[in-house]
Amino acid sequence: MNELKHYLAPTSLDQAVECLKDGDVTILAGGTDLTPQSQAGRVKIKHTLMNIRHIPQLSGITLEGKEIRIGTLATITEIMAHPLVRQHLPVLVDACNHFASDQIRNAATLGGNICNASPAGDTLIPLLVLDASVELASMPEAKLYRHSMPLSTFFVGPGKTRRSLCELVTCVRIPLPAEGHVARFHKLGTRPALDISTISIGIAGTLKEGILSNVRVAFGAVAPTPVRASQTEKALEGQRLDEATIEKAAAVARDEVKPIDDVRASAWYRKEMIHNITKRILSHVAQA
Amino acid sequence: MSVAEKKARVIQPDSLIGKRIPKMDAPEKASGKTRYIHDINLSGQLHGKILRSERIHALIKSIDTSAAKALPGVHVVITAADVPDQRPIGVARDHFPLKVGRVRSERDEIAAVAAETEEIAEAALKLIKVVYEDLPVISNPEDAIKPGAALIHPEPHGADGSHEHLKQGTTIAHKGKPDNVAMTFDYAHGDVVRGEAESDVVLEDTFKLHYVTHCCMGVSGMIAEFDASGNLLMYSNTQVPFLHKREFAEYLNMDPARIRIIQPPIGGGFGSKLDIYPFEVICLYLARAAKRPVKMLFTREEEFLASPTRQPVLLTLRSGCKKDGTLTFRQVHTLHDNGAYTSWGATTPFVMMQTFSSLYRVPHCDYHTAAVYTNNPYAGSFRGYGNLQATFAIEQHMDMLAEKIGMDPLAFRLKNAQDAGETTGQGMSFKSCGFKDCLTTAATRSDYSRKVQENVANRDKPGNIKRGVGMASMLHVGGGAKIYPSDGCGTILKMDDFANVTLITGASEIGQGSETVLSQLVCEELGLPMSAITVVNNDTAITPWDVGVHASRTTFIAGNSAIGAAKKAKTKILAVAAKKYDCAESDLDLRGGFVIKAGSGEVVVELSKLLRNLHFQDKAELVMTTFYYEPPSVHQDKGFKGDVSAAYAWGTQVVEVEVDTDTGTVRMTKVTGAHDVGRVLNRLGIEGQIEGGVVMGQGYALTEDLMIENGVMKNPNFRDYKLVTAPEIPEMDISFIESMDGEGPQGAKGVGEAPSICIAAATANAIANATGVRMFELPFTPERVYRTLHGQTPKLYWKPWKAE
Repeated sequence: MNELKHYLAPTSLDQAVECLKDGDVTILAGGTDLTPQSQAGRVKIKHTLMNIRHIPQLSGITLEGKEIRIGTLATITEIMAHPLVRQHLPVLVDACNHFASDQIRNAATLGGNICNASPAGDTLIPLLVLDASVELASMPEAKLYRHSMPLSTFFVGPGKTRRSLCELVTCVRIPLPAEGHVARFHKLGTRPALDISTISIGIAGTLKEGILSNVRVAFGAVAPTPVRASQTEKALEGQRLDEATIEKAAAVARDEVKPIDDVRASAWYRKEMIHNITKRILSHVAQA
Repeated sequence: MSVAEKKARVIQPDSLIGKRIPKMDAPEKASGKTRYIHDINLSGQLHGKILRSERIHALIKSIDTSAAKALPGVHVVITAADVPDQRPIGVARDHFPLKVGRVRSERDEIAAVAAETEEIAEAALKLIKVVYEDLPVISNPEDAIKPGAALIHPEPHGADGSHEHLKQGTTIAHKGKPDNVAMTFDYAHGDVVRGEAESDVVLEDTFKLHYVTHCCMGVSGMIAEFDASGNLLMYSNTQVPFLHKREFAEYLNMDPARIRIIQPPIGGGFGSKLDIYPFEVICLYLARAAKRPVKMLFTREEEFLASPTRQPVLLTLRSGCKKDGTLTFRQVHTLHDNGAYTSWGATTPFVMMQTFSSLYRVPHCDYHTAAVYTNNPYAGSFRGYGNLQATFAIEQHMDMLAEKIGMDPLAFRLKNAQDAGETTGQGMSFKSCGFKDCLTTAATRSDYSRKVQENVANRDKPGNIKRGVGMASMLHVGGGAKIYPSDGCGTILKMDDFANVTLITGASEIGQGSETVLSQLVCEELGLPMSAITVVNNDTAITPWDVGVHASRTTFIAGNSAIGAAKKAKTKILAVAAKKYDCAESDLDLRGGFVIKAGSGEVVVELSKLLRNLHFQDKAELVMTTFYYEPPSVHQDKGFKGDVSAAYAWGTQVVEVEVDTDTGTVRMTKVTGAHDVGRVLNRLGIEGQIEGGVVMGQGYALTEDLMIENGVMKNPNFRDYKLVTAPEIPEMDISFIESMDGEGPQGAKGVGEAPSICIAAATANAIANATGVRMFELPFTPERVYRTLHGQTPKLYWKPWKAE
């Protein structure tokens, strides 16, 4: 049984981070991960359950200078429908389109998907290749303190992040993609909907006259966290996307990942798929 | 209205048969008003929970329930020691509900609690301390039959090693087994040696069929209450209430007459509720000990862990044909993983051998099954009952044999398909048979033969998507199955003063639409609209006997029973009307709620008025009839031969797929089905039943896989046990072949199980057509297909083995 003693529903960010000070708090947003995980006994709900859904500062999707800010409470459905996201970040829309089912998308939040830190988290791969950063808020003294860190350094292990217990993820910031930016996402599973990835791949970069630069490659479900693939990025950086480059990059990708066997697939199959799908995505980019 | 005008009123002929009639329970279900067992609560009710084993195979050294008993709110805690009159349950009586001295599988029941709330009951389970001593785990049936294998049900020995063998005639649970063989089946007709000698081509392959489970949306549950006189009332989702009444009585050592079963609306059956499971008997023990009603409901995880599965099978098939395409023989050996205890899964050979002996003309057949104990989950009955497994092997061999002799696979099938009037080697007599129509209709509507050629031609062209088309056919009982002393069903039909009918039938509704189709048959006889009927079908104290919902039998058997009762009512009504209006009974008929003149349709009298006249007179009478229908089928003899069903259903399904060779993903794009259903009664209902069955077959073929490793279930949840979801469901084109069975109600035959049977077999053939690669093991998950396409799957071979 859970040890739940208090339920809090703060209406401001200050109140929320104040409550987080003692650290013994479980944060509830969409609840689509928390509920099944706590029922299955994989997550223990702490003394205080804090519902952050009534905090206006955590919502909304806006353009702030050269960055798109997505509030931690933005649901997958909201993200998919938002004109800013649709115009500038189609790869994120694509990933959301493979996220669970409509019912879950209506409740699940971006912040929740990030803090759940699943190696197979569907939004994490596009966010990684889009150079997203997370903003964290806390109240070390009597004043609200915010700081950011790149998403690529945020994940530590399955379900584990660098967020400290007294911090709250407030938003994600994504730099506006430059001209010539291309980004692709592919999720592979047993079925097209309501599935956990066997593997997922995100690839982004700037394509000018057939040359790919600023390359970002990220893989899901092949390591304890979603990962950037630095060797594969190196194999592609500044290269013309011809058949030889694509084959080489796909081979580097296959050798770079160290997946495990689990109920969804064997490590061997995952490595094969990293190769085949990387190759497929790059070929599509080259042909586009 | 003038007399002349009144006389002129004519009711035009109309029929309900073949119409699209919504299911009678649909509005309640769609609006969320249906009260399932989950919604039923009795006053004073306690909640029961079960402590399951933490080990797969172990001796129970001690159980300490003292802390659980001391928890406030706990009424009763029981273990095997608290139920000294416990009797073994199950098909082989090899299974104590509360385990005695030993656990044999992950789901095994150690203790049970009845408490004020579910939460208290859960908390109490955590306080029970069990000490185990591990035993070797057998999770592969091939290991179970090795010489010297550890025994799952050994003969009991005392602490000093002395033999505690009990007297002859006791059950396995009491006397143990000298080996791990739970059951064997051996069948033969003809002479396979001769058959093989006459063959130009002989193939032998091993096929492996996996674990899947029913995944009923409504989890299992039971409410049990003993009244002050000791009578037992159960709310149960059983599919066989009358058989279970008797069986529960045996387990409780009480008079069956004192047991009443009420069946609330059920959230899915599919065969899963044909056997009595430990939780049900334990719920009764708790209610008896607590002297309070006890409700027990599974969690979803428990539903996975402790429900029966489809029978996993390892099967080696040897079959042959002549160059001209004539089938010569089939020889089959199967190894059934029986799991730790015996339920209906072990008896799937009853159906499997019918398919091997009689799907197509097979002059010589030899069939052997050994069902062997392991520490795995145990299999029960599941829509299709072994037929999916048998058809998977046969229909792949049909394609492979055709290829070997260079014959078109459709022509090969048509050459060996039976016609009406034939009797098979096993004694099944096909009085109506639309097999060839099924084959040609499905092939024509899907453009099968052209696509087969085209796909082969396209196989080596560039591109990662390969298209394939595959065919499979099925034979299944369609007029009941005479397994029990009676395969019958009783009906009580009551008409009230307003010409409304109450149809009281033994047949249980499990979502398949039986109450709608039975109502339709009654209303058709009595010339009444569907709105004039109420069905009572869920209380053993009210309804007449029925053997249960299984074997695709309800429409056929309960339908004939309902028609029988309706015909008797009609005869009585027409006799009364004939007398009153001074004409011959044969001149009258019932139509649109009126007694009419048979020839012209002219109204004679409103039916309700006639019934009131009959009722409110000096010699008052009511129209109430009863009928019991027993099909003209026979029991099999000791060699499993005999015409066990009153009719047989046929079907052919053509599956089209796209295989992504980069990933191994198989997308099912279209299913074209043709089913010999005798006659369509409720078109909407039968379409729904076929579509649902196709999707169940699709899950079996592609995504569903209950993963068991060393006796441990790896995926007891819907996240990792993958049911088919809406976007994957293929386009469907379903045709009905109306062979008008002479014995069937309005010509109909059973079809409940039929649509699931062919899909996996046809999908295997489609993948082979697309890629040139054969898949011998289910399910066709992306990884398995990819591995096989890349030569990473060693050829499966199980050397035929027969229990001594």
